[in-house]
Amino acid sequence: MPESSARSVPLGAVERELLRQMRELQGPDERPVQRTRMANLVIYCTSQERAARLNAEIPDVVNVHPARVLLLVADADSPGTELEATALVRPLRLGSHGFSFSEQVTLTAGRSAVHHLPFAVRALLIGDLPTNLWWAAPVPPPFAGPILYELAEHAQQIVYDSSGWPDPARGVAATAGWLEQIERGGGPGHWRVASDVNWQRLKYWRRMLVQSLEGAEGRGLFESAAEIRVEHGPGAVVQAWMLMSWLTGQLGWKVQTGRVEPGVEMVWRFHGPSGEPLLRIHRRDEGLEDIQRIRIACRIDQRDSALDLFVQDGQRLALRVEGVEEALRTMTTPLQSPAELVGRQLSDRERDPVFRASMSVAQIMARSLLECFNGAAV
Amino acid sequence: MPDDFQNTYSLEPDVSKSLLPQSCQLVIFGAAGDLSWRKLLPAVYNLNIDGVLPTHFAVVGFGLPAEGHLSGDPDDYIRQRAKDGISRFSRQPLDESHWADFARALFFVPGSFNDARAYAQLKAKMEAVDQQFGIPGSRVYYLAVPPTLVGTCVEHLKAAGLIADPQQVRSFTRVIVEKPIGRDLDSARDIMRVVGACFAESQTYRIDHYLGKETVQNLLVLRFANSIFEPLWNQKYIDHVQITVAEEEGLAQYDPKTGEMIATRAGYYEGVGALRDMVQNHMLQVLCLVAMEPPWSLKPDVVRDAKVGVLNCLRRMTPAEVEKHVVRAQYIEGDIQGKRVPGYRKEVRESFEVMKKPLPPESVHSTTETFVALKLFIDNWRWAGVPFYLRTGKRMPKRASEVAIQFKDVPQVLFGSPTDVPLEPVVLSLRVQPEEGLAMRIASKLPGPKVRIYPVKMEFNYSSSFGGTSPEAYERLILDVMAGDATLFMRRDGVEAAWQFVMPILDHWEQMHVRDLPEYQCGTWGPVEADRIIVPDGRRWRTL
Repeated sequence: MPESSARSVPLGAVERELLRQMRELQGPDERPVQRTRMANLVIYCTSQERAARLNAEIPDVVNVHPARVLLLVADADSPGTELEATALVRPLRLGSHGFSFSEQVTLTAGRSAVHHLPFAVRALLIGDLPTNLWWAAPVPPPFAGPILYELAEHAQQIVYDSSGWPDPARGVAATAGWLEQIERGGGPGHWRVASDVNWQRLKYWRRMLVQSLEGAEGRGLFESAAEIRVEHGPGAVVQAWMLMSWLTGQLGWKVQTGRVEPGVEMVWRFHGPSGEPLLRIHRRDEGLEDIQRIRIACRIDQRDSALDLFVQDGQRLALRVEGVEEALRTMTTPLQSPAELVGRQLSDRERDPVFRASMSVAQIMARSLLECFNGAAV
Repeated sequence: MPDDFQNTYSLEPDVSKSLLPQSCQLVIFGAAGDLSWRKLLPAVYNLNIDGVLPTHFAVVGFGLPAEGHLSGDPDDYIRQRAKDGISRFSRQPLDESHWADFARALFFVPGSFNDARAYAQLKAKMEAVDQQFGIPGSRVYYLAVPPTLVGTCVEHLKAAGLIADPQQVRSFTRVIVEKPIGRDLDSARDIMRVVGACFAESQTYRIDHYLGKETVQNLLVLRFANSIFEPLWNQKYIDHVQITVAEEEGLAQYDPKTGEMIATRAGYYEGVGALRDMVQNHMLQVLCLVAMEPPWSLKPDVVRDAKVGVLNCLRRMTPAEVEKHVVRAQYIEGDIQGKRVPGYRKEVRESFEVMKKPLPPESVHSTTETFVALKLFIDNWRWAGVPFYLRTGKRMPKRASEVAIQFKDVPQVLFGSPTDVPLEPVVLSLRVQPEEGLAMRIASKLPGPKVRIYPVKMEFNYSSSFGGTSPEAYERLILDVMAGDATLFMRRDGVEAAWQFVMPILDHWEQMHVRDLPEYQCGTWGPVEADRIIVPDGRRWRTL
């Protein structure tokens, strides 16, 4: 069954239009119209280009977690003073039994109409369903200003993606404090969590690292690790940073100093249990927008060696212990699109204490860089 | 009568066929007013389209024209006004063929309600219409007028000999009295006394249009026709009840193209406020249906006895409790449907300009509340200790009314729920408007190896399940009056009991002499002050 065409309607006629499109898609079938909505999903972006990409991703999001989608496009390039609303119904297949409908309302606001958006959202949310705000603007949430807080008024979860942040150090430094603030800001009796999609991308890396450290090859590594070098593709610096803040936190390392060579490498010196290991996060100019390799230089069985973790064929993570002749150990990493990651995040509403702890470490790492650069972009 | 309408026509199945609307004239007092324009005339038009009106039927409007004077033919005037209202507000679109049939039975007598000569003209017109349409002299007088004019109208009707003896068999006279009945308990008693001196109780229908809505009627069916609910319907299992009536509209309506004010309720609403306009009648009536004991039959007086039983158990508030449990507020400039809209005080000033009336001194800095929230208790065995939170306001984000029953939490021991994401309680919500239906939120396990709990909502929607659009409440209620069924109308003792509950609040407010009320922006769910009556209890206002 094809989806209906998005249709422009007055704001007050959105609900009627959604029902009309559902009936039209259902055709002469006399069964009750069945719509599936597990949540409200408010998406905020700031350009038509981003909105077009989101429009392509939304069907995958609602396939994972059916939701009423309110896509808000704050189009700074448009001088419009009024909100424009379009309504769109998509068929949603339910196993082999039949189909249901999901619904999307797109609200486009020119730069003089952005202040209307929170009001319009209040009118379109469905009660008794969890509300999620997907912050899809390029600016990190701590720097978003009042619009984020107004849109988050009824949200139980704020989902954002730190991948590609333009000023990573400042973004990371601000986010740890912001997490604390936004999660406490729900008011009495109202809980709220914030989730970074980037953290989900680290799931398999973290699993691989834990298994490596717990396995035979990991013994003695804590004490002897002299340097960790992480290589990442364009736009993945925060991802690498978060993984390392988690790892160094787990290892009990304390940040001493940091320095940065913009666009190339970030380096920190830590105080570890038995030395002062280095961490290098190095940017590759090409390749996947993900972490590509982690090399942990250390001593194993009294010899200089290293754990080498890398992406193999884009579908699995591999582990090799340098200087040891044995088969590669691998872990399959199912490909997950950003839409799938967001879809899964919508149902995962529990606060992740490991993420919080890692962000606290990341914040200390960021401050050491910012101090070094005296506030300049790093 | 179409089968589908007849099936939903009466609460009591065995009387559905005997209670048919009888031939009569519907005489609307204030026919050129706002209520008639927006609700009554479109309702009668829809009844005409649905083919449920009696064969011998006509509508006669009475009162002063909305513009204050009339230059042309009165019947043409009311037909034009009706057509305008129908084209804007009717449930079914204006259809020229139906319109012609409807319009030929629509008349108007211009005149002042306190002018005896006007009643003589009305009498002459009604007799002529009787002749023309073969109506046996039966009348339904719909008093769509402010409470202060009700007494004047009925006394003139009596003086003009326009009220038939209730024992008369051949024809009947009935009167519909609009809410609010009075401004306070004393004036309500005055009105009911005056009306009672002219009409018998059996002839009097005190209307509350909320009771004509399908979901409200469905409350009785839901509670008493489903075995799973009634055993849980008490203080053992219910944590609290929230009743919300949110209006998107403000005091005035504006032309979406020109932005000019096209209608205003300032003449009625200013000085009345949300407590009198909504709580004293609609919300307490709905509360009664939620909280009443099972009636032993669906006969009108049995149901009304059960409702009055609830009102008599409402805990009266002391001044200190009014301070603690009641919050009132007024809207200020904000945003509705993507448009900037003015605050209440500005609308009041502009409304009086549009009405070409002087602004009353007390309205210069009006303290009329457009929002009220309160916590109340019903002191009986069933509801001991269960708070009922009521909230109503104008210029809220959307038009939405619902009753939400929130059940008590399960002991949070089994599923190790983290304290920052508690299990969400089971909620049964009955949506009265805009889309009538009901929903139940329950907890469910998310698929996957871990036990993770997620709230899911099961929804039933009248229009998508049964198709078509439900008749408007006024349609149903006007038909009921023509049929002589008073089940959904308020009885005199019920009105008094509701006022008795509200009076301590009004009295305290009057003594407070506040200069300014808490404020809330148009397009929000009310003032932050409303949280103070619910948040300290560990609960929250619902998002609709």
